[in-house]
Order: sequence, then C-alpha cells, then structure tokens
Amino acid sequence: MAASGSGSLWPVALSKEGDDRLVIAWSDGHRSVYTWKHLRENCPCASCREERAQPPDPFRILKPSELVPRPPLAPVAVAPVGRYGYKITWNDGHDTGIYTLENLRELCQCPQCRPSSS
Amino acid sequence: MHPHGAGFPKISLPGVKYVVAVASGKGGVGKSTVAANLALALQMHGGKVGLMDADIYGPSVPRMFGLSVMGGLPKDAFPLERYGVKLLSMGFFVNPEQAVIWRGPMVHGTLTQFLRDFDWGPLDYLLLDLPPGTGDAQLTLSQTAPLSGALIVTTPQEVSLTVARRGLEMFRQVRVPVLGIVENMSYFIGDDGKRYELFGHGGGKKLAAEAGVPFLGDIPIDPRVAECGDQGDPIVHKYPDSAVAQAYLALATTVVQELHRAGPEPELPGLKL
Repeated sequence: MAASGSGSLWPVALSKEGDDRLVIAWSDGHRSVYTWKHLRENCPCASCREERAQPPDPFRILKPSELVPRPPLAPVAVAPVGRYGYKITWNDGHDTGIYTLENLRELCQCPQCRPSSS
Repeated sequence: MHPHGAGFPKISLPGVKYVVAVASGKGGVGKSTVAANLALALQMHGGKVGLMDADIYGPSVPRMFGLSVMGGLPKDAFPLERYGVKLLSMGFFVNPEQAVIWRGPMVHGTLTQFLRDFDWGPLDYLLLDLPPGTGDAQLTLSQTAPLSGALIVTTPQEVSLTVARRGLEMFRQVRVPVLGIVENMSYFIGDDGKRYELFGHGGGKKLAAEAGVPFLGDIPIDPRVAECGDQGDPIVHKYPDSAVAQAYLALATTVVQELHRAGPEPELPGLKL
C-alpha cells in the first residue's frame, strides 16, 4: 500500500462555534475546540515563533497599529494547504502561519486535552 | 521542522487523471532520466502522458528530448509534444548559457504558472520531474499540485539512501503518498551476461522496507542511457528492446497498478466563515 496521509490523523469537518471558536472533528472521533485567540497566539510562522522565543522586552515601543482601537480578533479565511495543514488569514492582516494537522491537534483546548484551560 | 510557504490554493487539473512527482533527495541519481524514460514507457503502454520539468535552475528535459530554447513560439504552442509526450521546461524559455538566479518566490510563481496557465489537455499521467532536495519547488508542488503520489528515485549506495530518507520524510510530513522506491543504476550486465552490482546490493529494497512503501523496481546501468539522453532520444524510445527499456516498461506497469490501488486522495475539508 502507498504510504498515504489519509490513513493517519485526518480532519473530517471544520466548523465555527459562536464567534470566537473553531471546532475540528477528527477521523478518530476526537472533537477539538480552539479559541481564535489561542490559535493566533500560537501562530506557527517563523516570525511569530521567533517573537515568542524572545524574553519579553519591558521597554518595547508600541506599534502605531496597537495604539488605535482595533476590532476583536477574527479570522478572515481558513484555507487548506495541500493535504497537510490550514492557512489562517487574520483580520489584523497576518497570514503567514500554516497550521499543520499535527500542530492543530497539539493545540487542542478541549477539556480532555487541556483540563485546566476553559 | 514544520514546512512553511505561501500556501496558495490547490490548482485544479480536471483533464489529468494522475499527477506523479518524481523525486529523490540526492542529486545525480538519474531522476530526470527516470522521469523521461518512465514517461515514454507509460506512453508506450497506451497512456497519454505529460512531463513537466520542475527543476527551474537546472532543467534537463529539453536536452533529453532533443529540444532547446524555443524563442518566438506563442504561449499556446506549449507544452511541446515530442515522441508523443507533452513537455514543459524552463529550458524552453531560457538560453542554456544563461543562469536562472532566483529566490524561492520566483520559483513558486513559475511552477504555479507551469501547472495552471498551460493547457495540459486530457492526460492520463502528468509526471513532475522535481529538482533534488526538500526546498521551494517541493513545497510549492505539495501545496498547490493535485498530486496523486510521489516516486522516490535512489541509487543503491548509502550516501544516496540517506538523502532519499529525507525526501521520504518530507512527503510524509506534507502527506503526499509515496507510491514507492525506484532503484536506478542498480546493476550492470556484462558482455559475459553476468550481473554486476557496481554500487552495492539491495539499498532501494531496504529503504522501501524501512519506510513501509513498495519497492517498484530496479533499473540497470547501461552506457547507452547517458548517450541516448545526450542525443535527445531516451533509451526507452531508441532501444525499446534493451534490458533498460524493458525494466522501464515493467516499472510503468507497476506504477500504474500502484496508482489504481491507491485510488484518489482525499482533500481537506474547508471552512466557510
């Protein structure tokens, strides 16, 4: 048999729960729930990962965009990338993060995966 | 490492039944030779075949098919047809003495155009001759091409197998099914009729077993392979009765069987916001 990705972890359906959550139903029956905020904070793109790896800078100068009132964080598009992940385009203009399926499964915030998170 | 890239939408090729990437990992294992001869073998089995040269920096399809830069031809003249196979290559657009010095996004754009903006017409098989490595071209095609699967070409020795493993791992990560391993330059048949394994024995089979993918076949080494490639008439076409050509015809049968067995690959569900 060909070594296919279809035999392993696979999302069956994606849906929205209210305005602030994404739900993924997986092929193994698991149901993952994420807040959009959690996904944005864990963006896997190179610049976000580098930013998270740095110690917080107490003297960080705010960007002009951070000084004006902003609409609540929301995704503009969630699009499959090949057969291995999803790219999320955010309403803050960020769109370089590709969330692999493994990555999404790890970030799951359901009570079973993250008992302490809400 | 997680693969990253621009994440463009998948290109639809409704007229093409199977899109197969021919990849290796290591350069110099004869990937383009395998792609060219496999394309002809599939065609000799009665299939309608296309071959897209995805090696933007070092295209070899024109030379192998006796073609060169095709200045002045209108865009709709491409893909060009030679020996019954539809061909597209950067080598048709850039002089051989001219280097293509591009960063990744340009490669991404060109490969996307090659797939999307040219009329491949009805095809049974479209082979993509990938450059070596696990870089921009591989990522772009994993993200945007409707790949049915990938063939990994290796030679028997460990130095090639080690890099082929990386290629396999890349396809696993981006969830492109690996149809199997092809061992090129596997053995030499001497004038005495004996089989000489110049670069060792069983490397390709070992790699296939290790990765849990089929071993698709081995191709013998023959000086005429290089000679035919340089003369622009691949050995499967020029010497169809040779042992090498027979090995390619057997490989084509196995590849077709694997493609039928694997069936269509599922696509990820979308989300409407």
